[in-house]
Amino acid sequence: MSTLALQNVTYKYEGSSKNIFKDVNMDFEKGKVYTIVGKSGAGKSTLLNLLAGLDTATEGSVTYENENLAEMNRNRYRAKNAGIIFQGLNLLTNATAIDNIVLSMNISGVSERNKKAKTYSLLEKVGISKEKATRKILKLSGGEQQRVAIARALAHDPELIVADEPTGNLDKQTEDSILKIFSSLAHDEGKCVIIVTHSKKVTNIADEMWGLDKGVFRQMTKDKK
Amino acid sequence: MYVFEHALLNLGKNKGRNILLGIMLFAVIASAVIALSIFNATDSIIENARIEFNTMIQIRPQRRQMGGNDNGASTVTLEDLHRFADSDYLSGVQIGVGGGFARGNETVFYLRSPELLYAFEAEMREKGLPDDWAVFRDESSYRRMIAPIENLQDISLTFLIVVMLFGAAIMILLSVIAIRERKYEIGVLRAMGMKKNKVVLCLWVETIVITFVCFVFGIIVGTVLSNPVAGALWTGEGQINIALNGITALQILGASLLLATITGAVSVSRITKYEPIKILMERN
Ligand SMILES: Nc1ncnc2c1ncn2[C@@H]1O[C@H](COP(=O)(O)OP(=O)(O)OP(=O)(O)O)[C@@H](O)[C@H]1O
Ligand SMILES: [Mg+2]
Repeated sequence: MSTLALQNVTYKYEGSSKNIFKDVNMDFEKGKVYTIVGKSGAGKSTLLNLLAGLDTATEGSVTYENENLAEMNRNRYRAKNAGIIFQGLNLLTNATAIDNIVLSMNISGVSERNKKAKTYSLLEKVGISKEKATRKILKLSGGEQQRVAIARALAHDPELIVADEPTGNLDKQTEDSILKIFSSLAHDEGKCVIIVTHSKKVTNIADEMWGLDKGVFRQMTKDKK
Repeated sequence: MYVFEHALLNLGKNKGRNILLGIMLFAVIASAVIALSIFNATDSIIENARIEFNTMIQIRPQRRQMGGNDNGASTVTLEDLHRFADSDYLSGVQIGVGGGFARGNETVFYLRSPELLYAFEAEMREKGLPDDWAVFRDESSYRRMIAPIENLQDISLTFLIVVMLFGAAIMILLSVIAIRERKYEIGVLRAMGMKKNKVVLCLWVETIVITFVCFVFGIIVGTVLSNPVAGALWTGEGQINIALNGITALQILGASLLLATITGAVSVSRITKYEPIKILMERN
C-alpha cells in the first residue's frame, strides 16, 4: 500500500511555459528506500518540493495516505508527517544546532519532556559532538551542517523522509554511517525514505531507483557491478 | 509557549539590529515624553488661567463719544462699590481707590464661579449700577498672561507631531531593511511547518519586548529632561513646573505599542505574502 502517491502530476513554474515534468504517476511505499537520480536541472528538487508539501502540482495530485496534499493542512503535514532535508539545508544559520532542532520539535508539537537530551543523542547519532551542537550553524563545516539538517528532519520521528542530496558534502565514512541510519529507518522502522542523489553509495541501499530525464521518470535496475 | 521562547532567543541573536531599533525607539519615546509632558502641563495651566480669568469681573463706564473721557457718564461711588462687593456670588474683591475717588474701572470682583456672571450683574444693576456702565472680563490682560504658555504649547505640539512622524518613518524604514534578513528565517520556519499566525506572533513579541524596554528608559530619561527643556523654552514669568502624570505615561505607552504594531504589520504584510518555497528559492 502506498503512503505517498503522484497521480498524473504535471508541473511548470509560474511564468514559465515549459513543463518540468508531465503526467507523472508514482507510488512510494512504507518500509522502502527510494532514490531519484537525474542530471542537474532535471527537476529533482522540484519534485521533492511537491512531495514535501511546499509547492503544489500544476495539474494532477499528490496524495499522502490517500489525502490530497493540495487540500490538506500542509503546515501540519510538514511539521508532523514529513521530515525534509533540503538541498540548501535551510537551517537558521544564526542559531545553534541545538536551538534549530529543539525549535523544529516545538513546531512539530513533540511531547518529549527533555527535548535537549533527545537532540544531543540524535546529533551524536549523526556524528555531531556536544561541543559542536552548541555552536552557531555558521561556524560548522558544510558536512556538519548537512548532518544537523538530517538530525532536524528526524527529530519529530516522521513517517516520511524526503532528502535532497543529503550526503553531498560528506566523506565516504560519514556517508556510510548516515546511509545506515536511512536504511534502518526504512527497513527496521518501516518509514518511507525518498532520496535524491548522485551518489552510487546511496543507490546501494535503495529498494527502488528512479531516473528523471526530460520530464519523464523511469524505474531503473540496479547497477550490478 | 515556545513562540515566546523563540522570540526572546531571537532578540539576543540579532543584537546589532535590535540595539539600533532600540536606540531609535528610545529617542522617539523620550522626545515624545518631553513634548507630551510640556503639552499637558501647559494645557492645564491654560485651563486654570481660563477659569481664573472667567471669575475676574470689572465694570467701566461706556464711552459716549470717540476719544472721550468719562464725561457725561454716571458715576459710581465708593459706597456703591462696597454695596456691590457685599454679595454671595463673590469670593473676594479688590476695590480700586485713587485720589480720593472711587475707581470703578480699577476694581476687580472675584466670582465664586464663572457662570455666576449674569446673576451678579443683575444684582449690581438692582443695587444701582447705572445702565451706561458695562460689566466685562479683562480679555487683554488674559491674552497677555496666556501668550507665553500658548507659545510653549504650540512648540511642544509641533515637536510631538514631528517626533512621532519621524519615529514612524524611521521604524518603518528599519523594518523594511530588516525584512531581507528575516525573510529567509521566516521561510525556514514556515518550511518546518510553523503556522503564519505563529510567525507573526513571534515577530510581534520581539518588537513589543524592545518597545517596552525602550518605553521604560524613555519615560525615565524624558521625565528627567522635560523640566530643563521646558525651562529653556519658557518665555513667561516665574518658572514652569512639568511633571509626568499617569495619563501621559499611558498615552506614550499606547502610542509606542501602536508604533510597534504598525511597524510589525508592515513587515508582516510583506512577509506573509510570500509562500515559503518562494522565499527559500530566492535565497538558495
Ligand atoms: N523558481 C523557478 N522558476 C523557474 N524555473 C525554475 C525555478 N526553480 C527551478 N527552475 C528550473 O527548473 C528546472 C528544475 O530545477 P530543479 O531545481 O528541480 O533541478 P534539480 O534536478 O534539482 O537540479 P540539481 O541536481 O542541480 O539540484 C531547472 O531547469 C531550473 O532552472
Ligand atoms: Mg536540486
